[in-house]
Amino acid sequence: MKLKLTTFLVLFLGLGAGVFAQRTISGVVTDAADGEPLIGANILVVGTSTGTITDFDGAYSLSVPADAKQLEFSYTGYQAQTIDLTASDKVDVQMSAGELLEEVVVVGYGTVKKDDATGAVNAVTTEEFNKGAIISPDQLITGKVAGVQVLSNSGEPGGQSSIRIRGGTSVNANNEPLYVIDGVPIDNAAINPGGFQGGRNPLNFLNPEDIATFTVLKDASATAIYGSRGANGVVLITTKTGKVGERPRFTYSTWVSVANAAETFEVLNAEQFRNVVTFAQPQNLELLGNADTDWQDEILQTAIGQNHNLSLMGGGENSNYRVSAGYLNQDGIVRTSNTERTNFSLNYGQKMLDDALTFNFNLKGAFTQDRISPNGTIGGAVAYNPTLPILDPGSVFAGYYEYPLSVLNAGTNPISELEQTQDYNEGFRGLGNVEVDYKLPFIEGLSAKVNLGFDINKGERRRFLPSTIRSQLNSANPGEVRAENYTRRSTLLESYLTYERYIDAISSNLTFLGGYSFQDFNNAFPSYVANGLPNDFFGNNNPAGATQLQVNNSVIENRLISFFGRVNFDIDNKYLITATVRRDGSSRFGPENRWGTFPSAALGWKISEEPFMAGISNTLSGLKLRLGWGITGNQDIGEYNYLARYKVGDGLAQYQFGDEYVTTLRPTAFDPALKWEETQTLNAGIDFEFLAGRFGGSVDVYKKTTSDLLFTVNVPAGTNLSNRVLTNIGSLENTGVELALNGYVVDTKDFQWDLGFNVAFNKNEITKIDGSGDDFLGIQYGGIGGGTGTTIQVLREGNPISSFFVYEHILDTDGLPRDDQTDFNEDGAVNLLDMYIDQNGDGVINESDRVIKENALPSVIYGLTSNMTYKGFDLSFTVRANTGNYVYNNVLSGGSALQNVTNRSAPPTNLLARGLLTNFEEPQFLSDYYVEDASFIRLDNITLGYNLSLTNNLNLRLYATGQNLLVLTEYTGIDPEIGNRATSGLPELGIDRDIFPRARTFIFGANLEF
Amino acid sequence: MIRYTKIIFIFAALAFSACTDLELNPQSEAVPDVVFQDPDSYKQFLAKIYAGLATTGQQGPAGSGDIQGIDEGVSSYVRMLFYAQELPTETAQVGWNDQTIKDFAFHRWNSDDPFITGLYYRLMYQITLANEFLRESTDEKLDSRGFSDEIKDEVIIYRTEARFLRALAYWHALDLFRNIPFFTEEDALGADAPTQGTPQEVFSFIESELLAIENSLPGPKQGDYARADQGAVWALLAKLYLNAEVYVGTARYDDALNYCSKIIDSGAYQLNPVFRNNFVADNHLSPEFIFPVAFDGTRIQGYGGTTFLTHAPVGGAMDPANYGIDNGWGGIRVSRNYVELFPDETGEIDSRAIFFTEGQNIDVTVDNVGDFGNGYAMPKFVNTTSDGVAGSNLSFPDTDFPMFRLADIYLMYAECVVRGGGGDMATAVDYVNLVRQRAYGDNTGDITESDLTLPFLLDERGRELAYECHRRTDRVRFGEFTDKGTWQLKGEADEGTETPAWRNIYPLPSAEIIANPKLNQNPNY
Repeated sequence: MKLKLTTFLVLFLGLGAGVFAQRTISGVVTDAADGEPLIGANILVVGTSTGTITDFDGAYSLSVPADAKQLEFSYTGYQAQTIDLTASDKVDVQMSAGELLEEVVVVGYGTVKKDDATGAVNAVTTEEFNKGAIISPDQLITGKVAGVQVLSNSGEPGGQSSIRIRGGTSVNANNEPLYVIDGVPIDNAAINPGGFQGGRNPLNFLNPEDIATFTVLKDASATAIYGSRGANGVVLITTKTGKVGERPRFTYSTWVSVANAAETFEVLNAEQFRNVVTFAQPQNLELLGNADTDWQDEILQTAIGQNHNLSLMGGGENSNYRVSAGYLNQDGIVRTSNTERTNFSLNYGQKMLDDALTFNFNLKGAFTQDRISPNGTIGGAVAYNPTLPILDPGSVFAGYYEYPLSVLNAGTNPISELEQTQDYNEGFRGLGNVEVDYKLPFIEGLSAKVNLGFDINKGERRRFLPSTIRSQLNSANPGEVRAENYTRRSTLLESYLTYERYIDAISSNLTFLGGYSFQDFNNAFPSYVANGLPNDFFGNNNPAGATQLQVNNSVIENRLISFFGRVNFDIDNKYLITATVRRDGSSRFGPENRWGTFPSAALGWKISEEPFMAGISNTLSGLKLRLGWGITGNQDIGEYNYLARYKVGDGLAQYQFGDEYVTTLRPTAFDPALKWEETQTLNAGIDFEFLAGRFGGSVDVYKKTTSDLLFTVNVPAGTNLSNRVLTNIGSLENTGVELALNGYVVDTKDFQWDLGFNVAFNKNEITKIDGSGDDFLGIQYGGIGGGTGTTIQVLREGNPISSFFVYEHILDTDGLPRDDQTDFNEDGAVNLLDMYIDQNGDGVINESDRVIKENALPSVIYGLTSNMTYKGFDLSFTVRANTGNYVYNNVLSGGSALQNVTNRSAPPTNLLARGLLTNFEEPQFLSDYYVEDASFIRLDNITLGYNLSLTNNLNLRLYATGQNLLVLTEYTGIDPEIGNRATSGLPELGIDRDIFPRARTFIFGANLEF
Repeated sequence: MIRYTKIIFIFAALAFSACTDLELNPQSEAVPDVVFQDPDSYKQFLAKIYAGLATTGQQGPAGSGDIQGIDEGVSSYVRMLFYAQELPTETAQVGWNDQTIKDFAFHRWNSDDPFITGLYYRLMYQITLANEFLRESTDEKLDSRGFSDEIKDEVIIYRTEARFLRALAYWHALDLFRNIPFFTEEDALGADAPTQGTPQEVFSFIESELLAIENSLPGPKQGDYARADQGAVWALLAKLYLNAEVYVGTARYDDALNYCSKIIDSGAYQLNPVFRNNFVADNHLSPEFIFPVAFDGTRIQGYGGTTFLTHAPVGGAMDPANYGIDNGWGGIRVSRNYVELFPDETGEIDSRAIFFTEGQNIDVTVDNVGDFGNGYAMPKFVNTTSDGVAGSNLSFPDTDFPMFRLADIYLMYAECVVRGGGGDMATAVDYVNLVRQRAYGDNTGDITESDLTLPFLLDERGRELAYECHRRTDRVRFGEFTDKGTWQLKGEADEGTETPAWRNIYPLPSAEIIANPKLNQNPNY
């Protein structure tokens, strides 16, 4: 494969080079300041791909063609030098640390020198990425950027994440940032076709190893160029590519991982369980078995993973390229759960016409295959009777033990369900684009760019439930195959002109940008559910003969057409002005509200460039003030909501007219006046740098106000075709402060230690819900396990989103909540008044006595990154912490009631050991006792590596990483970080219910480069 | 060079001339002008209004709900009607932890109650759908869509049925909430919020609508099964007039009696010889049904309706197979007070005593209602046929729900006579005895004129019609729902206690009060 690929590239890229006369140049490269040798400095014959690096003594030796004229010496952090070759074969070079390479950051439709950025923009590059068994690229930057919360929704390999940049700006519309990969904005909506849980992260197709930088645009002055999609921030991902003139470099990287559950729930063992049943409900002893099964232990496994990546990159005289292929296979720690990915990527750039014309071609794609463990497995294992055996050879349940079908409301043997369920997801996603950049002749500084791109995501989720699963055997039509297909296509056309000019008269640099963008998203979700299979042998391959079949399809399309522009003024390299505007038209809104304009403006003042700062410029080497303002929008609300339309009912929802069954047709609720959500952001920041960049950092304060909040609200009965309609109502505010610091704490030749620290404070508040009075309890949401339709969260004016809505439990002298079997208030009745505070004093505990207590959003997020290198060794770690985030412990509230064992209408279910503390007969789902402080400090990952330079051109790095090794928290559940549970609609954060546990993972890896 | 320049200009030209068309029409749904090109769409739209009585959305059994913001299963017309009509009386107790469900038994519901909210919105939804149907099927619209006279004649019948279904929903809303927003097809969508109709206004509207459509529908039992006919209109008129005194303070027992007589005298309906065969999987064969809500194991699925009625009362030692279902939900039971309406609990004397007692205590208390073992179970609705064969689907019964049936009309007739609405006492006694003879299997349970009193009738209606969603309405009419009459759990007391009379009607949901500031909440809520 390697050979073929190289051959191909040689042919394709025209890299063929004849054999010429050679001579050998050698020498030593040293630090100009202290004369110490520089290890690993690059030496390149200019105009060729021939090169080498220095060894431990800073020495090198390189065969160069006889006609070679120059050598280029480069070393990270040092100024590159080009040396003219003379007759001498010895070339020693002294390199100066001096000015760092001018750092450039990617912004929308262009790049800007980092010094000249006026918005809140943070770039994270390869070296800073999190290490470990990382499957979804977003995990690379967890904890790295102030104000960016990356929260994996579960521990499933490749599971979905929620990313919040400076808090959520919306309630109903999407809160996830816009992702732009190599210039193509992608549809990153989670795919949960048919409401299937356990869907995978749509970013998984992107191999983390292929990513060069993650750039997070946080404030509106940076994101407004993305207009209606910029409100939640923008994440720009650029992938790695070769450099013009660079020699071909081949890398192979691999790791193997071993993972286990970091923690499990402490439940009663068989003996304790038997004792509790004997004590509380001896009648139920007949439902106990004689086994001693640790169900959690049985469903969990040591998960093994492996990852291999091959890449080749380099460049020709006018071209650059990178090709890579990768394979990943990672088990989940819940048995049967697995994800497998095969991906490839190709980047190719070609310059022509004396560099006036540049072609860039990017293509990446991945096949993923996942096996998904059943959704309720963890909850099932926690609750299932520990005295029951796993197997019951010869049983009708395929040899698994189950309660007989006659036992009502019995749960199911978690192992039986786990092993018999065959739930697979197979998908392909391909993303590609061609960019053509042409520097127009005749007009100096004017260039045109066209970007054509596509994104195709196609796959199928297919689940087979054999008839021998208890719930199937119990149903009317046992045996089920369900297939949910998805096809999401988007096409992109963008073209823009850039004009850049330096005007001597005002010593200003001027850049204009103006462009047009067209993007169309077309999605289809065909599906079927077949019940009552004639037999179990075909697995999910053949639904023929099913007694009941439901088919469905949903085809949706939306289109976004935009015009955008930007002006950058750089006056005297001191004053920076940026203004942008974007006009977006979206098919999601009616003709009157279809177009929106999103402006922004920002000012930067490089104070350190002022003459009056010259005196201290050795100490305070950089100081810049940034002020930004902008308006962005959010239109991610689903399609056709402004249109009257009819939906056809399926074959199971018909109605009888005599002997005929008639399909139904339903008019759907709509709001013709629907318009964008608008978020106005104000940002002020200071960037500072000491000792020529050895220490640096930034402080930002911001206020984001979202108005015309899209909200699904109740409408007066009779005025629309449902009780609730998505409409613009209310507003929301996020305010916060962010601080980021980084620096080289120790910086000697042998030992370097750099530290990065960031902290972000955010406050989120719903400032208005239109038309709601003082007595409005709010919009309740956040479903919990326990009672149909019970919810635990509320949206109410003056409170953050994800606020918990509970009864205040009265504590006894031991600090425990009062139980439900004692007449504490001595009124002769044992009822809720004995336990909960009657807030309105009306003598009854009801809805009106529920209060808002805490919320799921962290008020402060901290991240700390440390990198140390000592000679060939390196040690790095990332620590994260959140404070002020609360979690509703639904596992505990459901596993605490004695009723679980005393109930006579269902077999006994297990209790959490902690659950016995509270002595509740019935579950107290709405008690604030279960709203727990989930502040934590987590050692996210720690890596120890060793670099070996085996020969001049051969580098080998070996490393070991531990992920999720330590969590300090007072939260009593197994993991304080609880992601979003909802598969659509309002995000439900901070509800700990049946979560796939996060793994503790050890990785051993190697990178080979030559 | 020139070649490249050309390419660039082609690209640019392509880019800037690319379409700015943002008008995208739905592809797997359709806008009205597309949908109503097909005249069958009117039938399908009408079927949706009917289906609103049985299912909860466009995907069976659940998945694309009509009512938002609540669990889809609790937006079922019949299930929520059961919650509101049976749970606060002696006929049904439930021990689930579903949100506020116990508030019904304890008479402590408030305006935030999700079930009351679900019921309210279901009723308003039905009215809204019917209004929309009437707006889409006007003569002008039919003409503009170029339909033949034949099709137009058909659609005119559909319009009549839509008006019946609207009147039915208005009646339930009037009965349960009394002071409700009043809106018709004249009030366009998206217009101003509707104002509150007075009970008299709503009453008169229902009455005038029913009288207006009475003669446009097929005669009793002349139309398709499960579609409204004249019998259904008469039954609804009879119900409306019977409760007129409660609704608007004017007794209309004579009118009620008149419409009861019309039904009885039509000769179209006979009592089903076997009482229980009204509640079985093949009960569509019952000669007694005047207006049923249809359910079907394969075509009409949902978690409300008879799915609820057959599953919820099964638990404890009951074998689900005996009831043609896959599993019991271990939910509803009856109180001792209900059991005591019968001469004995075995059903040997009165076959309407359908109790499952094995392993069940007869008493239920505030504390132990959560345990299915307290209170007898009453598997009145089953998913087995009259021959004892299970229905087509153990999860979703074939059993239909009798919204109106003849036995009810007999008892209503008798009540009208006793209340002075005219008629004939001897006939009244005969009608009651017809109902009782079927229950007893012989005439040992017959009554005489002196037995035919209001208290007797309230009890008799309990025996005959429990679980059929009439109980609260009946108790309110007899003045025995709140400030009089006690049974287990009422008022959150083990043996029951009186509750304030303002609880005779339910509160409007707080969500609606907020959304529509023109509405006033019912007193004391």
